[in-house]
Amino acid sequence: MKQGIADEAAEGQAGSPVDLQKHIEDVSIKLSRTATWSGIETQAWYGPDDVAKHDYARDSGDPGQYPYTRGAFPQMYRSRMWTLRNIVGYGAPEDTREGVMNALKMGTAGIDIVPDTLSAEALDPDHPVLSADAGQEGCSVPTVRDLEILLQGIDVTRTDVAWHQTMMIYPLVVAMARKQGLDIAKLQGSHQPDHLQLRLAGWSETIVPTELGHRTTVDCIEYSVRHSPRWALGCPQAYDLRERGVPASGEIGLGMAIVRQTIRDLEARGLTVDQVAPSLAWVSGADIDLFEEVAKFRALRRLWARTMKDTFGSKEPRAQRVRIACHTSGRALVYPQPLNNLARATVQSLAALLGGVQSLEACTYDEPICIPTEYARELATRTQQILAHEVGAARTADPLGGSYYVEALTDRVEADARQLLEKIEAIGLIEAIENGTVEGLMDDYNYRFQLEVDRLERIVVGVNRFQPKEQEQPKRFAFSPARMTEHIRRFQTLKRERDQARLGAKIAALYRVAHRRENAHPAMIEALMADASIAEVWGTVRVASGYPYDPFRVLESPFVYPTM
Amino acid sequence: MSANIIRCMLGMLGTDIHSKGIRTLAQLLRDRGVEVIYLGEHNTPMGMVRAMLTEDVDIVGLSYSTATYLHYTRDLLAKMREAGLTDVPVMVGGLIHREDEPALREMGVRGIFGPGTTLEQIMKFMYEASGKAPAADVARP
Repeated sequence: MKQGIADEAAEGQAGSPVDLQKHIEDVSIKLSRTATWSGIETQAWYGPDDVAKHDYARDSGDPGQYPYTRGAFPQMYRSRMWTLRNIVGYGAPEDTREGVMNALKMGTAGIDIVPDTLSAEALDPDHPVLSADAGQEGCSVPTVRDLEILLQGIDVTRTDVAWHQTMMIYPLVVAMARKQGLDIAKLQGSHQPDHLQLRLAGWSETIVPTELGHRTTVDCIEYSVRHSPRWALGCPQAYDLRERGVPASGEIGLGMAIVRQTIRDLEARGLTVDQVAPSLAWVSGADIDLFEEVAKFRALRRLWARTMKDTFGSKEPRAQRVRIACHTSGRALVYPQPLNNLARATVQSLAALLGGVQSLEACTYDEPICIPTEYARELATRTQQILAHEVGAARTADPLGGSYYVEALTDRVEADARQLLEKIEAIGLIEAIENGTVEGLMDDYNYRFQLEVDRLERIVVGVNRFQPKEQEQPKRFAFSPARMTEHIRRFQTLKRERDQARLGAKIAALYRVAHRRENAHPAMIEALMADASIAEVWGTVRVASGYPYDPFRVLESPFVYPTM
Repeated sequence: MSANIIRCMLGMLGTDIHSKGIRTLAQLLRDRGVEVIYLGEHNTPMGMVRAMLTEDVDIVGLSYSTATYLHYTRDLLAKMREAGLTDVPVMVGGLIHREDEPALREMGVRGIFGPGTTLEQIMKFMYEASGKAPAADVARP
């Protein structure tokens, strides 16, 4: 180590005592921060006094016991290991299909598919202004026919495919299953029906009007709970909320506000918490602060259990123990010296496992650069395998339970989460989103975060300190556009050659249902089975709800709608 | 409105939803006395040009986190030329890769701020490109 410093000093002609002193200061490690990454001030140590009010049975409980602070299941990873997941998605359906097959070969248990930015916004790949985005950042899936290509040979009533998608994917999967004659009561897999999260995470009022978006979430969950009870619903999708800019406690507070509003609205439609909650899964992130993240997962389980029991009168343990699907934070990963992100993702993944999540995707080290390259995906899988087989992260449930620090931090995260929840509910969730209150909170958080980075009050290695001397050019993901060109051509041919009379009738029926503000899902599924595209279906719902067909205001609806 | 205050339009083009960076930048620029016209996400190049024609801005800033920035920036600059907006400097930021910088310069982008950019670098560029003197910083409480 000393040798290294001397060498570098000599190399940089920095032999003067001042430069050498500066160098030593640079490489020595100092405590730069006493607050958690989310901003909770901590003490130098914690002891019995900090958890004096704790009652083990009331506040912790054994793993698998109410309030599930210590884990959702009694044996935790001994009875069921977490599901090692890998995200795939780029280009045409054929491209992503190839990626899925490669990931399966690499040893991933669960397949997660991410849509391209157009499909994620319920837009078609031949949009005259936006077509360049088709196949970018994910897979283009505008019709049932495309889904059939993507999942050829995969039985969706037997294989668990997780969709990192909110808009239109559930009706697409159901439409395909029905077209194939499958029993949708047996449908496996999951998606993320939380439209309010989209509204807050950058889709904005343009793409997802708050009221229409939330009503669509409620419609989707109602339909799924009644018709495909084995399908899992990732709601809230708190991951993107966290990435957009809330602290650990904010992920819980805002996520709970969304869940509570959604359950209340489903109760108004005659469903009970014990019918709905067992189908929900919390989609969470894992940021870089190990102990705070563990505290967050523990606090989340406790607050969820108490909410379902105390607020909604749940009698069913399956409704009271929340299942957590975790994707490690991409926001915490940085562009300079990207291989350091392997270390970051390892700590984040460890936090998720010590926190007792049910499924885990580790971000690839090249996340801040491009969509994952194959090599980076392989290393992300290996990270989880090292944690599973070498580190012993899964051996014993809630290994940090009983730590004075982690218990105190769990209490604090829960208290902060409750405070935010009360603040939002005092305004009303929908109102707080529409009037910009929630986005304002996120903007303030990001603003303070950036000021701390600028003032070196928050050190991010490689970004504001310890910058690498040489910036190597990271390898970027690339794929051939050939299949995309063919995919768009095929899409346009389908639009010309489909049964226009049948399609027109289904679209008219959809318009009527949506105009009456009834659950549009059955009619959406029927239209998709008649080869409507996602933009046509969602555009029709938009027009029926008083919004322009194309959120970018470039296209007009190709359909003539019934006069109401 | 003081003649010396920089008017900067910030927006995103296409389907990109990663607005965290540009929203934070808008706040930081306002702290520095810049008047920010914030268009937000989901603009078309044509829509952005229409906004420029009514807003009389000194600088336009685009933020990107998706891979299609060359396409959208080229399209915007072409439409700006058609509309006679050749004297408005354009800067881009976000996930801009270094190997794309020559192409961006060639199409007429004046400021490129990829990963690791500081606010000072952006401010320096904005003063130079707009020809306006630094305003007194407006401290935020």
